[in-house]
Amino acid sequence: MNEFIEQFLIESRELVEQASDDLLALERRPDDRERLDSAFRAFHTLKGAAGIVDFAAMARAMHAAEDVLAALRAGTGRVTTELVSNCLACLDQVVRWLDLMAADGEPPRDAGAAADAIVQRFAGSGILALLAVPEQSTAGWIATLLAGHPAAASRPRTAIRYVPDPACFFRGEDPLAVIAGVGGVEALRIETAEPWPELDALDPFACRLILLALTTASPEEAGQRLMSVRDQIEIRPLQAGTDGTGAAQLSPAARAVLEEQILLLDEAGAEGMAGKLASAGRVAVNVMRSLGRPADADGLGDALASSEAAHDPAILRGAIRQVPDGASVLSPGPAPAAPDPGPAHPEGGARVMRVDVERIDALMRLAGELTVAKNALDHALGLAQGGADGQALALILKDQHGHFDRLVGELQQAVLGIRVLPLERVFQRFPRLVREMAGSLGKEARLVVDGAATEADKTIVEALFEPLLHGLRNAVDHGIETPAERAALGKAVPAVIRLAAERAGEQLVVSIADDGRGVDIARVRGIAAEREMLPTAELAALPDDKALDLVFAPGFSTAEGVSGWSGRGVGMDAIRTAVEQLGGRVVLDSRAGQGTTLRLTLPFSVMLTRVMMVEAGGQMFGIPFDAVLETVRVGRDRIAPLGAARAFVLRNRTIPLIALAEAVGGRAEAEPPPEASIVVAAAGGQVFGVEVDRFEGRLEVMLKPMEGLLAGMPGLAGTTLLGDGRVLIVLDLQGLLQ
Amino acid sequence: MTIERLDYATIRLHGICPIEDAEPLLQCLLATPGAVVDWSGCDAAHTAVVQILLAAKPPLRGPPRGAFLRDVVAPLLVRPGE
Repeated sequence: MNEFIEQFLIESRELVEQASDDLLALERRPDDRERLDSAFRAFHTLKGAAGIVDFAAMARAMHAAEDVLAALRAGTGRVTTELVSNCLACLDQVVRWLDLMAADGEPPRDAGAAADAIVQRFAGSGILALLAVPEQSTAGWIATLLAGHPAAASRPRTAIRYVPDPACFFRGEDPLAVIAGVGGVEALRIETAEPWPELDALDPFACRLILLALTTASPEEAGQRLMSVRDQIEIRPLQAGTDGTGAAQLSPAARAVLEEQILLLDEAGAEGMAGKLASAGRVAVNVMRSLGRPADADGLGDALASSEAAHDPAILRGAIRQVPDGASVLSPGPAPAAPDPGPAHPEGGARVMRVDVERIDALMRLAGELTVAKNALDHALGLAQGGADGQALALILKDQHGHFDRLVGELQQAVLGIRVLPLERVFQRFPRLVREMAGSLGKEARLVVDGAATEADKTIVEALFEPLLHGLRNAVDHGIETPAERAALGKAVPAVIRLAAERAGEQLVVSIADDGRGVDIARVRGIAAEREMLPTAELAALPDDKALDLVFAPGFSTAEGVSGWSGRGVGMDAIRTAVEQLGGRVVLDSRAGQGTTLRLTLPFSVMLTRVMMVEAGGQMFGIPFDAVLETVRVGRDRIAPLGAARAFVLRNRTIPLIALAEAVGGRAEAEPPPEASIVVAAAGGQVFGVEVDRFEGRLEVMLKPMEGLLAGMPGLAGTTLLGDGRVLIVLDLQGLLQ
Repeated sequence: MTIERLDYATIRLHGICPIEDAEPLLQCLLATPGAVVDWSGCDAAHTAVVQILLAAKPPLRGPPRGAFLRDVVAPLLVRPGE
């Protein structure tokens, strides 16, 4: 990927986040001048950045949003929910573009339509009314321009309004030459900012003109050519309806053939996708060529190429849909309400990350110290070769070893430090999501974020997004009451949802607390009984906190209806699974009428895992330490068969037992000792025993994920190398249970 | 010079008129109300020059030679009845 594009992607994502943050803050405090300026700057910079990578469509869309914000800054109009929503929608589109660019390495070619939609959104969605802009100034001028040039109005595709800075002459700008440079100018109208003064009072070096032009250049072309004066212009695409002609209409046969290709692409599953893609693309290109529309044919050819590169038929399908057919396009794309999320980050996260210079410097320093340590080792080697006394040599080596030990420890810390990110990276996306979720559910909620500066390993931070999103959905959907209910209960409106993070030793604790109605434990019990999740007697004996834990069971839900936001209890189940995959735990705490708290405890880093080593079937295994509750030795007579399996009783509790050697396909010892060595562990909400041959020590390991043939094997979490060169297989207990 | 005063009543613009022509053009027009501006030899004119023509609205003798001036700009300067 081109270096500029890489930089563009990093910066743009940051700017989008910044702008979202500012917009949401603005919605709460419309008079916050600093936030307004900051949002404006973010949009402005996005526009400029788009210009640098030649992404004219995005620059145009950003310009439309920037205009609105500029008007706000100038004091015309005020911040409204609709305006914020429009700006946020604009940012969503940018994110989709960025994802496409991350996949293709270049600006998407078919972005024009989406950019038009954004420009329309700002022009059309009553922005005039919102902003109370004098009628003359925005959409009005296009109508005036078109009305004044009825003859010219048939062909142009773009309207330009250019208000040169009065001092532009001093900068060597020549506005008319700029307009002429756009090319294809069909009509020009010149207005003056104010009435002309008396001729003798006229300053010949102050530009007082407003230039309005209609051109046959496309909005993208115009935008590109006007880039140098982009802060003084307004570019509006003319709708197909206004220009009347556009491209020639497709013949019915051609239309039918193209529609066939769309259908073919619609059904293109993974199987045979490449073939279908290629054939549909070739047919579509040939149709356009035979109609004598080489430009459209080339466009489709490009779309085919990017579709093939991205293994995504949607690109080609979209391009065929957008083939101009008379005044409109062949078929409108999918409804904008369900935007194509685009290719997600291919490897589940950005591959480029920003690192604090200080952290790099620390690594540099360590590299230097390691070199010095190595040189000291050379000295010891020299002594050894010279036949030095073993005792003295051992002393020197011991010293060196200590030195190395310290340096390696520091190096490990420094490397982990590079991967450390503040949780802000995920947290900052939530205020907006909570706002939208609450809005769509008719509730009012405010998200309070605490401890966003808390840091954790990149993998953890990035993997937290989804479980937290599920948790927040649950809080908004099931936790908090509607404003009416809250008012009746005498609770404050809006409801407060608190998202907090803190470090607790080597652990990271993230919690989502709402001040809603709390979980109805009686209902939880009722549903558990109804679904026969537990025997009735056991259920009745279950203490409340254990009963609450049932909501994490797969498929459980206390919601009466299925809302668009949180499905039937998939959320809680998904949270537990995701968090446990990261080596963490989840607990739910609820107080009737006061609220619910979901607490996620995660390791600070996934790289260092503490394992307990055990031996079974002649092989060493590691069991993640955080899953281990205790180790016990149990007499064989206390282990009883339970159906096809075995179980034993520990402190009046029946615990199922797995023989590790058998579970991993090894041999059991020929002569089992009279007492079984058992690791009592908890995973997936279950407590069970793992029978091993021997307990060994504990170890901190850097876990390497399984690769190759072993990758798909359930029950194995990864491997690590032992000091003597043997491979230690670390178990995934949850996988082992299944 | 791309601007010259031909006689008492005619000012001629020719070639490519740069921004430097704006001030002299304004002075000429102020000195000679009713003077005709002949821009039939004009290929292009800086916005500042056009702005003077727009403000002063002198009678014009044209059409100018440059295509953009002739097709796009000149229609804005032609007064009804000319």
